[in-house]
Amino acid sequence: MAATTEMLAPKRRSKSAEMKRYGFFPGCVAKESCTELFNSTLLLADRLGIELVELTAASCCGASVLNDVNRDVARILNARTYAQAEALGLDDVITICSTCTGHMRAANKELLEDENTMAHANSILGKFNVAYKGTVSVRHLLWLLIDDIGLDELKKMVVNPLNGLKVAPFYGCHIIRPESVNGWESSRNPHSLEDLITALGGEPIDYAGKTRCCGFHVQLEKEGIAANMVGQNMRIAKDKGAEAVLTPCPLCHLALDGYQADSVARWGRTDLPTFHLPQLVALALGVDATRLGMKRHVISPGPILQAHDLAPMHVA
Amino acid sequence: MAHITLDIYRYDQATGEEPHRDRVDIEFPETSTVLDALEHAKAEVDGSITFRRSCRSAICGSCSMNINGVTGLACKTPISSVLREDRSVKIDPMPNFEPLKDLVVHMDPFWDRYSRLKPYLQPADADSDHERERRVSPEDMRKLVAVANCVMCATCYALCPVVSVDPSFAGPAAIAYAYRFIEDTRDAKTNERIAQINDDYLWLCAHCYACSYCPKHVDPHDRIIDTKRRTVELKEWDAPGPRHALIVAKTIKRTGMLAENDVIIGTVGRFNFRGMLNIIPLGLRMASKGKVPPLILHPVDKIDEIRTIFDAMEVPVG
Repeated sequence: MAATTEMLAPKRRSKSAEMKRYGFFPGCVAKESCTELFNSTLLLADRLGIELVELTAASCCGASVLNDVNRDVARILNARTYAQAEALGLDDVITICSTCTGHMRAANKELLEDENTMAHANSILGKFNVAYKGTVSVRHLLWLLIDDIGLDELKKMVVNPLNGLKVAPFYGCHIIRPESVNGWESSRNPHSLEDLITALGGEPIDYAGKTRCCGFHVQLEKEGIAANMVGQNMRIAKDKGAEAVLTPCPLCHLALDGYQADSVARWGRTDLPTFHLPQLVALALGVDATRLGMKRHVISPGPILQAHDLAPMHVA
Repeated sequence: MAHITLDIYRYDQATGEEPHRDRVDIEFPETSTVLDALEHAKAEVDGSITFRRSCRSAICGSCSMNINGVTGLACKTPISSVLREDRSVKIDPMPNFEPLKDLVVHMDPFWDRYSRLKPYLQPADADSDHERERRVSPEDMRKLVAVANCVMCATCYALCPVVSVDPSFAGPAAIAYAYRFIEDTRDAKTNERIAQINDDYLWLCAHCYACSYCPKHVDPHDRIIDTKRRTVELKEWDAPGPRHALIVAKTIKRTGMLAENDVIIGTVGRFNFRGMLNIIPLGLRMASKGKVPPLILHPVDKIDEIRTIFDAMEVPVG
């Protein structure tokens, strides 16, 4: 885990002497184009007093695409990742991407529910003396925040409340659907992000687009589809009064942040700045805003952060 | 008996009047279904309320509509599960369709996509050549059972976000049905079917799983993935969709990670200048903020293990 600044130490959560340790699967995009997500996750973990142990030998989860080429390879790659967590004595693999969450959970479900599937995976992993015992749970950082830290505890830790910032939650798809794989909350009417926004002192915006698709996975297949899906959802959010968007998924973030400019002709200007989940939580918990990588956003959150007295304009 | 208000979308394309809403009050058991309530309202309060229905038991697929913002079969939706605090139920026609009258929509686009697939068996020989029926093993049939449960209610089409912005997409049900014939051992047009659907729209699915709300558990999404895999197996590779799937696999085998730069260039096609021009504005917007994936991606630890898995599974990426 990256060393973080001492100045954070006094506000660090110190529930017990023993830090809770989690396996950490950042996924590809947080290590490539969205490094601000990776960095702000580590800063938030430090503030929460938990240890995220990165699984450095892990592979891509398959990104919902590998199944198009081969029925089994993504599942076996994920079994290998879980075996790494087991070898480190870790029960959880924490994700910060909805697509990773959904596809890693689906793979784990298949492995745990069918002994032939598990035996097949282990027969391949056995070629390099690895075995998955089946003890790992894949969970998103959002679920960790609510189940393990708790909204009440989070509320107590807020030092920089969001001052009524109107935030539209954007769940996207793979953290909620299919419900048979995720099932942590209702996929029709989830409210974890709303609860979190409220706990941080913001005002959640309810709108029809919150559980719809951002179009990321089809952005290169045909011009205009993703931009239109982004525009459609952001239009509804904007019309409901949203000032910003919060998403638990870097793929949604890339689409929402990147494509609003391309959807103007059909959906009008929306220009809603989009926050990664740990960015907004870390900001409210007092992490120095300049360290959250918001300068890397296409649509700058600077103006709304300044308007709500959350951070000076220059941080984004 | 309980007091229930049905808040119903009213419209008649024939008169050209603006749509409006009617609130229809009924006394009705809330253990009944939304369809029962609509039938009661039509029989006892306002005979002009128009909706499609037939079997009342989730077999005919006629009564899909939008109930409190959720699209599904009215005959399968208990009133108690959707009754709002003010004891009302809001009922609208299915989204992604043009309304015709009240809750009835023009289904033509849905049927058109379906008809294009030639959704009937095309065996290699004529029926007259057979003394007996064409047999299918239970094992081969098992693959088709889920899709055979499809009742063409169009719930998945109404929920599909790609259809909502690009009506050229066939939607989930039609692709699931294509799969049903592609996988049928009696059908002789497998390759033609795969080539057609690959050209048409197969790869426009956005992987959103909205079709996982299928009231008959057809799970069109999984059938879409199965169909994509068949196109890759048949080496129908010359389109952005299969190129995307293959380049993702290739970069994972090489580095352990999905290498974003390679995937973008490999999907669009290195020599597809128009395609490259299309993505330049987004690329520049991101680059101006320093949002550029690393040009060189170092393989993750123990990359040999990952390559062993790819080789053992014979993934066709070299």
